[in-house]
Amino acid sequence: MRQTMPVRLGAAEDTLIAQLKSVGADATAERITVAGLPTRRVESYHYTDLKTLLRAVPPLAQAANEASAPALRVPGAYQLMIANGVIQSASTAPAGIIVGKADGGVLSTRDDILVHLNGALAKDSLTLTLESSVDPVIQIDRRIEGEAAHAADSLKVFVADGASATILETFSGSDAAHVGNHATYVALGKNAVLTHITVDLSARATSHFATNEYHLAEGAKLRTLVIHAGAGLSRTQLFPRYEGAGAHGDITGLNLVSDGQHADITMDATHAVPGTSSQPLFKSIARGRGKAVVQGKLVVARDAQKTDAKFMHQGLMLSDEAEILSKPELEIYADDVVCGHGSTCGKLDEDSLFYLMSRGIPQEEAETMLVRGFLEELVDPIEDAALAEALHGVIDGWLLGK
Amino acid sequence: MADYDDIPTLKENIDRATVDSVLALDVDKYKYGFETAIESDMAPKGLSEDTVRFISAKKNEPQWMLDWRLEAYRRWLTMTEPTWAKVHYPKLDLQDMYFYAAPKSSPAPKSLDEVDPALIAMYDKLGVPLREREILAGVERPNVAVDAVMDSVSVVTTFREELSKVGIIFCSISEAIREYPELVQKYLASVVPVSDNYYATLNSAVFTDGSFVYIPKGVRCPMELSTYFRINEKKTGQFERTLIIAEADSYVSYLEGCTAPMRDENQLHAAVVELVALENAEIKYSTVQNWYPGDKDGKGGIYNFVTKRGDCRGDNSKISWTQVETGSAITWKYPSCILRGDGSRGEFYSIAISNGYQQVDSGTKMIHLGKNTSSRIIAKGIAAGFSDNTYRGQVSAHAKAKGARNFTQCDSLLIGDKCGAHTVPYIESRNGTAVFEHEATTSKISDDQMFYCQQRGLSEEEAVALIVNGFVRDVLQHLPMEFMVETQKLISISLEGSVG
Repeated sequence: MRQTMPVRLGAAEDTLIAQLKSVGADATAERITVAGLPTRRVESYHYTDLKTLLRAVPPLAQAANEASAPALRVPGAYQLMIANGVIQSASTAPAGIIVGKADGGVLSTRDDILVHLNGALAKDSLTLTLESSVDPVIQIDRRIEGEAAHAADSLKVFVADGASATILETFSGSDAAHVGNHATYVALGKNAVLTHITVDLSARATSHFATNEYHLAEGAKLRTLVIHAGAGLSRTQLFPRYEGAGAHGDITGLNLVSDGQHADITMDATHAVPGTSSQPLFKSIARGRGKAVVQGKLVVARDAQKTDAKFMHQGLMLSDEAEILSKPELEIYADDVVCGHGSTCGKLDEDSLFYLMSRGIPQEEAETMLVRGFLEELVDPIEDAALAEALHGVIDGWLLGK
Repeated sequence: MADYDDIPTLKENIDRATVDSVLALDVDKYKYGFETAIESDMAPKGLSEDTVRFISAKKNEPQWMLDWRLEAYRRWLTMTEPTWAKVHYPKLDLQDMYFYAAPKSSPAPKSLDEVDPALIAMYDKLGVPLREREILAGVERPNVAVDAVMDSVSVVTTFREELSKVGIIFCSISEAIREYPELVQKYLASVVPVSDNYYATLNSAVFTDGSFVYIPKGVRCPMELSTYFRINEKKTGQFERTLIIAEADSYVSYLEGCTAPMRDENQLHAAVVELVALENAEIKYSTVQNWYPGDKDGKGGIYNFVTKRGDCRGDNSKISWTQVETGSAITWKYPSCILRGDGSRGEFYSIAISNGYQQVDSGTKMIHLGKNTSSRIIAKGIAAGFSDNTYRGQVSAHAKAKGARNFTQCDSLLIGDKCGAHTVPYIESRNGTAVFEHEATTSKISDDQMFYCQQRGLSEEEAVALIVNGFVRDVLQHLPMEFMVETQKLISISLEGSVG
């Protein structure tokens, strides 16, 4: 007597199923056939209902013939490019880097549709082995060119014990309704130090999905900065795992959303062993009818005593119609820990604005100053001066590009 | 935990009373776990349209009510059980359950003398006075009006006459359906729609009893109103429905308590509580939830799947929820406020304590719709034993809720390393003028705190009780006086034996 509702599949799902079948990924195709794309009923997609947001999926990407100008140039950086899922040949690598290629996806299996899709569709992956400390910034220029295309690519990075490096990933491409599904897997050896920055500068018509998985060994230090400033629909998933005592993560992100955009940064971090720490810090700025989503989950395993983790999200609303939705989450199984989270949301402080304007600074300029001040905290810790300047450029570009 | 067998041979010079009180800590502390032999009238087992008709007929309900229930039942058939909560439990077989159980007594007792004495004795044992207390010479204590609900029916409601003098209606919902149909039709399901969720819809189809409160315009209810819920029969579910309406400028404080016998089976309690506050009205709703939590191995206990929601319909109205959750095997409960009226206020104060194999997923929703609405959430979760304790709360400001304001603080305390404490807030700001603040922490009782207390002569358990009481104090102070003392005792009972 009980009735079950079959999942109704939309155009995007039909295309995905056909594409998956064409590459022999029947299991993932079956998964979509049964469950469809995640809706708000799926906890981890509560605010990013892919079923309604992703209306159409373009054909699978073919190798690119032409390339647009690089979205971001950092003087002195060593550049590698993946265009339309194909790894491009590169100049000789600086000392300490071994560049290679491997088959297929890089992410660990996980109950997540973007992870499954990337695993099924990414043909080969770029591998970087950092044997010793690398000075120049390593830039991975990931782009989708030409006609609207559905592209999946993947990158795997190993940072050897004691090595340090800075990796910048930029996402860009031609102005078309692309769907990009990018994956990055990073393993940090003992006492390795990595700064990992990803900047989405895709065109507004593009849907950008990225999943970054991190594994930190003893004493490893990771700093990330995710900046969303491009695609109309974007979701970046961050899955750090602290697997060695003394591992520490400063997982940070910046959601810049304008009218009509939907940007989601979702972190799901696991403190797996005793004595690890993390300080996730995310900021969202929304204007027009933009929608910013930040979800941040801290899982502390039964054994992970003495974990010290504090998640923070700050939202800034620049218009009355904007939306900032946040879901911090604590899931704690060890009793001797110091964990917390905070989430605030509001508009620019009237008093500060008045202070600046009463000193002769026009309103718009005063607002920009305050917003810059609000963001300073995220860009400040980046040591490479040329890189920091480039990032400031991205932020200013967004602030002025109303 | 020590067993009787683990106690070494007693020395002569040890005070017998001390030993007894220590040993008493180890036996199951659930003191309401007795069962009362009262003959009951039951519905046939299982759930079908016939069950719904049976319940409606038993209650002498008008046709509109039966139609309403049947529609809910048909709707329910198309729904599935929610799975998003962080609780895991064996599914209940609804076809192996009784949906109606009522103590057999004269059909409509005119006075307490016609009520089965065993029943009054049971309530006495639970500490609930059903006889309106005579005022003793020189000793005047505030009265509390009680509606006592056992299994599926309300057995007695006290102080009705005194309340009716000021125009307050306080009776069981079944009576209200018969006697005040226009009020019930106007407000029933106006806060929790029939198809709101799986359990609420099930409740709409098969609810059996509960309380109905109507406070007329401008009246301040002269005493605390309360309902005491008791599940007694085996294999029954309790589906209570409470509706409280506070007209403009009125005030009411309402308390709810609940207990059940110890059994090794799981029983279902799926209630719906609706509050409506009109202009400038204030409703204060306090719950001390102490359903049987199951034994130390996690066997038995009540599934408490409850939908509670208040609607601040009028401007400047206020609804305040205070809850102390110590019982139930599984708790799934989110008392919420819809802040519809401009300037309305919602408050939620909660202490959720879990021990043994209890699983709690509880919190609140504050939906800001009106201008300048404000809400405040203070939630304290304490997990011990093998339990899981989740706070899940939503705060949202809609586009028209200019100047909405929320402050949330949720703290969790872990006692022992086999339990889990989780916090899942949903913070949704759809409006530039809304200001939201959310803060959450998780910690354990520090060694320093314990050392400090023990150094001053407190035992380990006394020290834990003291620290925990300090931890939850900002919630306790929002409970009515009579409840506060009781709750403090309850907290120390729930946590005894959880140290180490």
